[in-house]
Amino acid sequence: MKTVRKFVCDFCLNGCNIGILFDGYQYRIEYLTEEPPNYGRLCPRGNSASIVIDHPKRLCYPLLDGKEITWQQALNTIQQWLDECSGRERAVVYSRGLSPAEAATVAGFARQLGTENLVCGYLEPDNFLGVQLAGVRRAKLEEVQSARAILLVGDVFSASPVAAKFILDARYAERNSRLVVIDSIRTRQSGFAQLFLLVKPGTEYRALAAIAGILDPKLNLDVDRFAVECGVERSRLEEAAAILKSTPAGLVGAAASFGRVANPLLHSLCAQLVALKTDKPFAGFAEALIPNGRLSFQQFQEKVVQGQIKMIFWFGGLFPYSYPEVFPALSQVRFRVATTIFRLSSPLPGLVLPVVSEFEKSGSGETLWRQVSREPVVRPVSGSRLISEIIQGITGSTATESLNVPVPVQVDKLLEWLAGSRKPEPVSGYLLVGERRAIGIGEFYDSEEEITVNPADARQLGVKDEELVTVKSRTAEEQFRVKVSGAVPAGVLVVGVDAHRNRRLFSVEFDEPGGIATIPPTKVEVWRTQG
Amino acid sequence: MADSGIKVQSRKRLFVRLDYCIGCRSCEAACRSRFKGEARVRYAEVNETTLIPLPCRHCEEPLCAAACPFEVIRKDEQGGIVYQSSVHCVGCRSCILACPFGVLDKELLRRMAQKCNLCQDRPEGPRCAASCPTGALCFIDEGEIAEQQVGKRTTARLPFWRRV
Repeated sequence: MKTVRKFVCDFCLNGCNIGILFDGYQYRIEYLTEEPPNYGRLCPRGNSASIVIDHPKRLCYPLLDGKEITWQQALNTIQQWLDECSGRERAVVYSRGLSPAEAATVAGFARQLGTENLVCGYLEPDNFLGVQLAGVRRAKLEEVQSARAILLVGDVFSASPVAAKFILDARYAERNSRLVVIDSIRTRQSGFAQLFLLVKPGTEYRALAAIAGILDPKLNLDVDRFAVECGVERSRLEEAAAILKSTPAGLVGAAASFGRVANPLLHSLCAQLVALKTDKPFAGFAEALIPNGRLSFQQFQEKVVQGQIKMIFWFGGLFPYSYPEVFPALSQVRFRVATTIFRLSSPLPGLVLPVVSEFEKSGSGETLWRQVSREPVVRPVSGSRLISEIIQGITGSTATESLNVPVPVQVDKLLEWLAGSRKPEPVSGYLLVGERRAIGIGEFYDSEEEITVNPADARQLGVKDEELVTVKSRTAEEQFRVKVSGAVPAGVLVVGVDAHRNRRLFSVEFDEPGGIATIPPTKVEVWRTQG
Repeated sequence: MADSGIKVQSRKRLFVRLDYCIGCRSCEAACRSRFKGEARVRYAEVNETTLIPLPCRHCEEPLCAAACPFEVIRKDEQGGIVYQSSVHCVGCRSCILACPFGVLDKELLRRMAQKCNLCQDRPEGPRCAASCPTGALCFIDEGEIAEQQVGKRTTARLPFWRRV
């Protein structure tokens, strides 16, 4: 008899239950219709989970500069490299894909190596949705379902399609239920809203600050300034504030996408400020929340540029492959050791070690709605190892150390940051905005070769649907197929941000406050491709 | 009317609740994940903010089957499923041209047309419906479709007529 094994999906914080079935030939997904919170429903990522297990591109051997070697040779190489640098010259970077226990082991490994250079390499904006504003409470699932006034900032439906079910049920529950959406482009989600506030790219937090200022004049926020900066009339912001204030049961939800949010920290905190001022719970629809290390990414990058780092270990995710724009700087580091699940299309220089996927290891963690524990549902792919096994192989033992527990930000601090926030620079030309699509799983279903262009811009550029344009940013140049749509405002171009070729167009910047890494919308030049 | 004594088995159909579809294409992902990349559910953009799935209607008189020169597409009269015997498909695209709803993808995969068979291998019903995150795509008895009050609900609820 074929057994369906239960797995708690790790692709986002919704924590959906997935059934994994081996039919004697391949792994397949089964839909566990009795299991909360998703009752068998899955987003495109969840639907593709089984593909990870027996994907033909799973890496089964360590690679040294792209050439297959044995594990013993890999461990010997690491020992040789360790002997050539001191503790201070080593750095340990971690990203998503690690269980909390593995993250603690990686932190302990940094201590064993004698380095303070422990860095969080997960730079996605949604990571800041985990930063808490003091006094804000996290939403429970039943609160989402019973909400009657909902404010969504960013594209929550694409970030968490399964959560969209709860929100839509709440939206349709009563005739006077209200959904307010703030975003810089017209998404599918915006079509469900009674009130949609289309803001200038990257200014979502300014609209939120204005709403908070309207809700509580004692905050002394310059509502008119923020209204002008976000490009929304004050009366519409007042309408949003009135909807949220008039209905006690409600929710404030936020999502943050790569290339879309200018300052993810303020984006998250301002959404929470509105939640605080309307006495509503907050839900941050993130893919992963990774705590900070001992060194910020900016400090780490500076050390790399100054030649103070000779050896890097990076664990989890596809870092730094996910941020091609930081890779040139990191390529200055002499010795590089990375872990990965898949064989990458362009081989990383240095040592690449195959690790087990989420399906092949145990772990526990917290999702948006509950505590979960995961058991391996399949045996590890041949040749892959657990991160703890790799560390054991390098140091002979493992140690654990807890990572920083994030401290809630006080409202006064946030107000100080808002008062000091820079005015957005006037944009001449085109602004490229990133869109994280629900169907985006790497480039598996969609190669994301399409760019969405406003009809007026298309006329100006002299292009029509399906024609090619070339887009040049500060960091890269790419060709795209045009899709003309009024969903994007004039002067704005939208591309998917799952394809690495598209991500290369955006640059990692370090912004105030606190020198956090941001990947904002970027200025580009566009022209019709000849020939 | 006198009872003829013949029991007609109620057929199930794929039904799209338009006011719940968020255009996430999870239905497509479920299909492609199971059938090695075949997208047997297509989708259409109604307007800038509305994207809906286009599943096969499994017509009473399927034109795709009528157009197939090798009788590769057949109709299971009992279950109402219009299915394709993939072994014999030669990839002539006749079915794609014949479909009045445009639900067959114009691209061939492995040199064959991509035709929905309502996941005949899965007794619980098609995967696209099982996986739909919002429950917009559902697999229900023909009798229940009337209860869905399609016209009444979509016009009574604000979002849909705002969206279209």
